[in-house]
Amino acid sequence: MTAQENAAPSSQPSRSSLGATILTWVVLLGLTLLTSLLALVDLGAATPIIGIVIAVVQASLIALVLMHTLRGSPMVRVVAAGGVLWFLIMMLLTLTDYVTRGWLTASGK
Amino acid sequence: MTEPADLALREQFSTPALREQFSNIDQQRESSTLGMWIFIITEMMLFGGLFVAFTVYRLRYPHAFLTGSSEMEFTLGAVNTAVLICSSLTMALAEWYAEQGKGLRCAILLLATAVIGAVFVGIKFFEYYLHFRDHKMPAFGFSASGGLAPQIQLFFVFYFLMTGLHSLHLIIGIGLMLGMFAPAFSGVITAKYHTPIDNAGLYWHFIDVIWVFLYAIFYIPGAHLK
Repeated sequence: MTAQENAAPSSQPSRSSLGATILTWVVLLGLTLLTSLLALVDLGAATPIIGIVIAVVQASLIALVLMHTLRGSPMVRVVAAGGVLWFLIMMLLTLTDYVTRGWLTASGK
Repeated sequence: MTEPADLALREQFSTPALREQFSNIDQQRESSTLGMWIFIITEMMLFGGLFVAFTVYRLRYPHAFLTGSSEMEFTLGAVNTAVLICSSLTMALAEWYAEQGKGLRCAILLLATAVIGAVFVGIKFFEYYLHFRDHKMPAFGFSASGGLAPQIQLFFVFYFLMTGLHSLHLIIGIGLMLGMFAPAFSGVITAKYHTPIDNAGLYWHFIDVIWVFLYAIFYIPGAHLK
């Protein structure tokens, strides 16, 4: 293989563009600033929820753009999405069990 | 069937860029990325269990956990979040230059990522020192006023466990960046063969994902109480 052939990019387009990467970085920093400023205001029970929602947006941006799931191969995207889905199901079912314990009273207890 | 160009690539390096079980470099890259994602999913399970446990106790002891959150070094946490996001940019740029076959620029950006990661760890350990000084480190003279002290201590147990595990991952990531430096610098990483940089990038960005959630659950809720 010649140096020119070796330097040629792969035939598989699987990467986010440079512009999208830098834009994502700016948005991530902006969201960090936003969540930090909102945290300084007493919003009651909404404060932690807003924090988590912004974290979910940030994590999604990182996964989609920086981790290239947006433009990855179908196989990788299915595995990544399936992994996250089953992970969320496990978390949800476990939390449903723990959080609802004591909500119902059983006779004899 | 293996392409002649891929055979040449296989012969070019003492450590074969194309392993013999793969037909071509794209198939190898996809398999490698797939393996890395499966590893990341196991890491999600590891951290996920801790997040679930934290949530259960957060709902059980809301006031104590809010008080614990108000004891965080909020400014340092916010700065560290920005620092880690900046390291994700340098990592992403390193991946981009690797794909372009610009090994030197890739190597410099890997080094920058490692340095920024080290800054994060340094700030984190400084925070740990402040908590130790203020008697907020469980099992090391922890003290808190009021009847909620045991529950506040539980908050700090989660804090040290989860951020400590995250820092351990980051230190491993810094080792990865330094380990990738020589291959990138010496030209082993090319436009055709840059899978190790891609996978190191996936790992690094995953560490970033974990941190944004750690920041949200530990630092955000009690920041307004300071």
